[in-house]
Amino acid sequence: MTDNVNINVNGVEIQSEPNKLLIEACEDSGIHIPRFCWHKRLDPVGMCRMCLVEIETPRGKMLVPSCTTNVTEDMVVDTESETVKKAQEGVLEFLLINHPLDCPICDKAGECPLQDQTMAYGPGESRFIEEKRHFEKPINISEIILLDRERCILCARCTRFSDEISGDPLIEFIQRGNKTQVNTFPNEPFKSYFSGNTVQICPVGALTSTSYRFKARPWDLKSTTSTCTGCSVGCTIELNSSQNKMLRILGVDNEEVNQGWLCDKGRYNFEYLNSKNRILNPLIRQNDSFSETGFQEIYSYIKNNVIEQSKKVKFLMGTNISNEDMLAYKYLSETLSEEVEVYLNDDNLFEGFFSEDISLGTISDLNTSDTIIVWAEDIKENLPVLYLRLRQAVKNGVKLVVFGPNNKTLEDVATKIYGKGIISENLEIVESLDQIDGLTEYIKDQKTFLVIGKSSPVQSSNSLEKLVNFVNENSKMKLMNAFSSGNIYGAFQTFNNLKGTKEFVNHVNSKNTDTLFVIGADPVGDSIYSTKIKEIISDVQNVISIDMFLHETSELANCVIPTSATLGENVGTFTNIEFRTSRIDKLVPSPGKTLGDWEFVSNLLSFCEVDYQYHSVEALNDAAYASLEQNQKPIFDNLNKPSNFDGILNYVKPNISCTDESDIKSSFLLGKKLYGDKVTQRNSESISMLGSRRYIELNQNTANSFKLDSGKCNMIQGDFELTVDYFINNDLDDGVVFVPTNRRDLNKFDFSKDIEFNPSQAKESLNVT
Amino acid sequence: MTWDKDLLDKANKIIELYPQKRSALGPLLHIAQNKDGYISDDSVEVISGLVGITEVQVKSVASFYSMYKQEPTGKYLISVCKSISCEILDSKSVIDAVKDFTGLDNNETDEEELFTFEAVECIGACGGAPAVQVNYETVEGLTPSNAISLCQMLKDEQPELVNADILQEKFGGVKSFDWAIKDTSGTIGTAPGFQTFDTDEVSK
Amino acid sequence: MKETILLTKHMRDNPSDSHLLNSYEKNGGYEVAKKILKNGSPADVLEEIKESNIRGRGGAGFPTGTKWGMLVEDQERYLVINADESEPGTFKDRILLERDPHQLIEGIILTCFSANIKEAFIYIRGEYAKPARRVQNAVEQAYEKNYLGKNIFGSDFSLDIVVHLGAGAYICGEETALLNSLEGRRGEPRLKPPFYPAVKGLYMKPTLVNNVETISSVPWIVKNTGKEYNKLGVEGSTGTRIFSLSGHINRPGNYEIEMGSSFGEFVETLGGGVRNSKNIKAYIPGGASAPWLRGDQLDIKMTIDDVAQNNSMLGSGAVVMMDEDTNLVSAAKSIVSFFAHESCGQCTPCREGTTWLEMILERVASGRGKTSDIELLLDICDNISPGLSWPPKMTTICPLGPSAVSPITSLMNNFRNEVEALIPTKVKI
Ligand SMILES: Cc1cc2nc3c(=O)[nH]c(=O)nc-3n(C[C@H](O)[C@H](O)[C@H](O)COP(=O)(O)O)c2cc1C
Ligand code: SF4
Ligand code: FES
Repeated sequence: MTDNVNINVNGVEIQSEPNKLLIEACEDSGIHIPRFCWHKRLDPVGMCRMCLVEIETPRGKMLVPSCTTNVTEDMVVDTESETVKKAQEGVLEFLLINHPLDCPICDKAGECPLQDQTMAYGPGESRFIEEKRHFEKPINISEIILLDRERCILCARCTRFSDEISGDPLIEFIQRGNKTQVNTFPNEPFKSYFSGNTVQICPVGALTSTSYRFKARPWDLKSTTSTCTGCSVGCTIELNSSQNKMLRILGVDNEEVNQGWLCDKGRYNFEYLNSKNRILNPLIRQNDSFSETGFQEIYSYIKNNVIEQSKKVKFLMGTNISNEDMLAYKYLSETLSEEVEVYLNDDNLFEGFFSEDISLGTISDLNTSDTIIVWAEDIKENLPVLYLRLRQAVKNGVKLVVFGPNNKTLEDVATKIYGKGIISENLEIVESLDQIDGLTEYIKDQKTFLVIGKSSPVQSSNSLEKLVNFVNENSKMKLMNAFSSGNIYGAFQTFNNLKGTKEFVNHVNSKNTDTLFVIGADPVGDSIYSTKIKEIISDVQNVISIDMFLHETSELANCVIPTSATLGENVGTFTNIEFRTSRIDKLVPSPGKTLGDWEFVSNLLSFCEVDYQYHSVEALNDAAYASLEQNQKPIFDNLNKPSNFDGILNYVKPNISCTDESDIKSSFLLGKKLYGDKVTQRNSESISMLGSRRYIELNQNTANSFKLDSGKCNMIQGDFELTVDYFINNDLDDGVVFVPTNRRDLNKFDFSKDIEFNPSQAKESLNVT
Repeated sequence: MTWDKDLLDKANKIIELYPQKRSALGPLLHIAQNKDGYISDDSVEVISGLVGITEVQVKSVASFYSMYKQEPTGKYLISVCKSISCEILDSKSVIDAVKDFTGLDNNETDEEELFTFEAVECIGACGGAPAVQVNYETVEGLTPSNAISLCQMLKDEQPELVNADILQEKFGGVKSFDWAIKDTSGTIGTAPGFQTFDTDEVSK
Repeated sequence: MKETILLTKHMRDNPSDSHLLNSYEKNGGYEVAKKILKNGSPADVLEEIKESNIRGRGGAGFPTGTKWGMLVEDQERYLVINADESEPGTFKDRILLERDPHQLIEGIILTCFSANIKEAFIYIRGEYAKPARRVQNAVEQAYEKNYLGKNIFGSDFSLDIVVHLGAGAYICGEETALLNSLEGRRGEPRLKPPFYPAVKGLYMKPTLVNNVETISSVPWIVKNTGKEYNKLGVEGSTGTRIFSLSGHINRPGNYEIEMGSSFGEFVETLGGGVRNSKNIKAYIPGGASAPWLRGDQLDIKMTIDDVAQNNSMLGSGAVVMMDEDTNLVSAAKSIVSFFAHESCGQCTPCREGTTWLEMILERVASGRGKTSDIELLLDICDNISPGLSWPPKMTTICPLGPSAVSPITSLMNNFRNEVEALIPTKVKI
């Protein structure tokens, strides 16, 4: 670490890390320089010219953009000279001459840098009496993003983001000079998983989202910082609400995790909170329909049927709840049966790689490694912001080696892809690893970072283990287990001998189970073992569902307890893929009679007069980390300290007991897409349509062998039949079919049996809504 | 629509000239301009595939340069210079003459798709002001009346090949310098006539 | 006053075929290149160029020897010939390309040999179709004779040249914009720092960017020594230079002269005097970017430094004469519109400012001006080029924006009455 440089700003001596940009160095010392185009996370372009300052040079004072000038020892800077002020007023006037005066109806009003800086530095009334530039008012550039080119000040933030960060440059400058405008290509909308970020970093109201449009004014927004539970990356987010209604999610710049970015799913998948389909009262089954009831009835039902009678209780859990809620259920299960049996609603669960001789990596270790090796389910679809961090690492010169057919979306940045030929159709590496051309060179004695997980349920963990051992032996390896679902690492910390859906269908039946708690999970709706799970659940005597919605699974229950959402309606903690624990916060009240999970447990056990002392989240939060040093505990007091803004790392060795063999046919490559058929997305209006397309992928030979030619095909298994689109993907082996299992009903097939694929002449769109 | 094999072969030859594919973007756009008389969305898609960037990136570059037309042009692109040296030697009268004859305003094309008129910035013929280009073939020292006879000739004869020397001889006047050597090659279409693009031709 | 014929000698002596290889060779072409590649060293060439004290002919007037000296070591390095000649008033590179392309190619060979460069690009503005065809022919001829390609002249030095056409963007004459354009990007100037071509140029590799005339001078200099070249002209403006003379002049054209005589002399002798023996009201000494000089300043010497001392520049060597009848407001408007049209659009002050200036001038020129417009014009200029000083301070990335300021300050400093005359003043009844 080279030592700091001293610079003089407005007569004050300040220190800065070497090679920092002047604008950043000043920022760090509390001197704000106005800017529009500069963004900490994007390459500087020096276009808006708002950040001009004066520095002393051998040739006298010079105006330079502070966003493209690096600090140098003894640099003398003036950020408030007359010349600087004049230049800044000039730039503002120039920006305003073509900017519409529609602030009153602009989403950005109130949090608009252009508006603010006009107040601060701007000219008085306009000297511009000519006609303004005109463009067609907002145009839809995708299903969820609108563009108003009249408001655009051409800062190139959106274009740089899509080019530099997300790697899908679908929005660009068109024309030149005074005619310059931002736009997309006519036949190619701004279809990006990350488009919402451009809305957030747009310094004016040029880019807006259908989700937030006209919804609120910044001055009556309430907000709090929380953690996204969408996937195990756990991005830091800001929640915004107005009149107790959740309205917006923004990315927060957490250096260690998401650096301000979010995927569009995480950003827009919240509208379900306000859905009219939420369950607001307890439901109890009377023969084959539900009727609303009170909690007292529910509690006594459980008391009579479960607490006092059954001893064969099992839990089937989703991973979208906080660590504290999970702990509450752990205590509940302990009071109910001698040995706790918790199954996670996860088709890809396996024991992972947590042995002592493996050192686990953090996300930021990606940047400091020499070579990253990825063999896991599709990172872009399942861990979107980790995908951005992978791209960033490559941009910083790290080599990227990809195994298997899943991560095609990394193709453009990958140094090497080992696919067909090296990986067999059942996802085994065919050659011995030291024979694989180039591999040894990529890793030998290098700092390697291995991102590893099951690419598909058929994959055996020892095919992965071979690679792990090889890399571990030949390099300085850090490893990240790519379990992707929500707060799954929280579950790892909470429960012992965890199992997944595969174990559930193999072990659980009405003989060894008389009560089943299904918690925030819809395995019938989204597991590939849907059909079997449905049979089992229907056989079990008492099924208690705890959920926000009635869906294919909760519908099978004897009673349904309405819960409040983890997002925005509850307090707690979340543990991400790095075992980094951060705060989940509450912003809006729980609707109707809904309860937080921990609250339900506490009320139930009080009702049943069981002795139980965790009647608050704080109590559970404390208990969760009892074993740790006081100052290392991810407890609220610590997490609220600014120094712990990034969250607190606390590793607890997971205890997972899964069987490795799978009866899934190796001709089926199964994976989840970012957008799918989850009940929460279906109930989030502005993105509900995005996961509706049913399709499969196969290579040309396979398509030919099925005689497919129309672009559509019928999938037939017994008397179950679906018509889907198909796409050619020649990275797949002959005979292999990729099936996105979270598209409506595609998970209803039994993938341990053959499926027939026939050409279809169907004309109608296959979108299901 | 779309590019035939010959065109694709030519494109790939051009790509090979450069250390990096993307450098061929400019030349490929000239070919696209020559093919359709403007940069069609179809060509944008083809080129995007050839150099491996997105369509909108191609469009972004294409729309930056004034010689890649976004709208279809006529057979003859009449570009009259309006920059300083021509301006002070009354290029306006030449511009008006051409406007009158063609009935076109700046950047307009007639129904027959014969003429496209544009008043352009300096074409490097300042010594022979006022000057014009027909499909990028320069004619210097024009008078309004000669400008009209030039257009008349194009309308009547509709030559495939446009050649600076022939036009200059018939309609030109003061030159920027002694052209000395007569060139037999010229331009076909509304992209500059250039061997590498096969947009030139030698008159028999 | 007479011309001094170096670069234009071959084309004058052989008007019928100066563009062909055998003609060029018959008259001693490629000799010096052969000689140097056989038994000369790269250092020799650089030495001559340094001694010649030649300064770049593209406009910036940067010492060429120094520039070559600054080229950073690297496996890949490139030479890019700037043949984008688009500065209004300028047409001197055009004659060099059209009439003597082999002289340029020989210059390129010598330059690349000296700088150990294996690949050169000639970036010719797209509107120069005929010149481009001539150069392409010459390049093909040179390849046929193995004067280009592998082991040229049987030496172990290899060199490839690609002729690249621009597509109508004046800004691509700015060297970093040119490099972006050559990379298949928008012709937007890069940030200096950090993107100095000699360090991070084409494909981020060290790159020499030189003007056509600069490199066309290299064969003469190497053949006749830098010392000889240095004797010509005056200190700081050595050698000859091709001036493009246009406007209200009897004999417009390109004239190769030693720098040092006055503009007046130039006009009267070589230029054959002002048309219809009128007087000069104002003139542009070095292309549209240069501030104007007054008719009573014709005694200023044609050297880089003399013109600079009079708050203008010799720039691209384009001299435009405007006689007493010229409508200077329209003239200024024409130049401002040029820069507005050619602005790449990156910088707010240039993108918005130049167009705003154009709109106001349009109003004034058509009699719809307001008295306050004069101050407004000057203040907008000041926001593009603070202090309106010369050489210009800039709020922009490149000098294009400030160039649009030149005609307006020239107008306001020297001919304000002509502007005021166009502004209707309220009549009292
Ligand atoms: C706006 C602008 C336009 C320019 N146009 C040209 C040009 O058309 N031709 C040229 O040779 N140099 C042009 N230049 C100068 C080039 O940037 C560069 O300095 C020159 O090509 C270097 O070559 P030289 O050292 O041989 O003069 C321009 C500069 C600017 C700022
Ligand atoms: S000054 Fe004008 S031309 Fe130069 S970079 Fe800025 S916007 Fe582009
Ligand atoms: S913030 Fe520096 S130029 Fe825009």
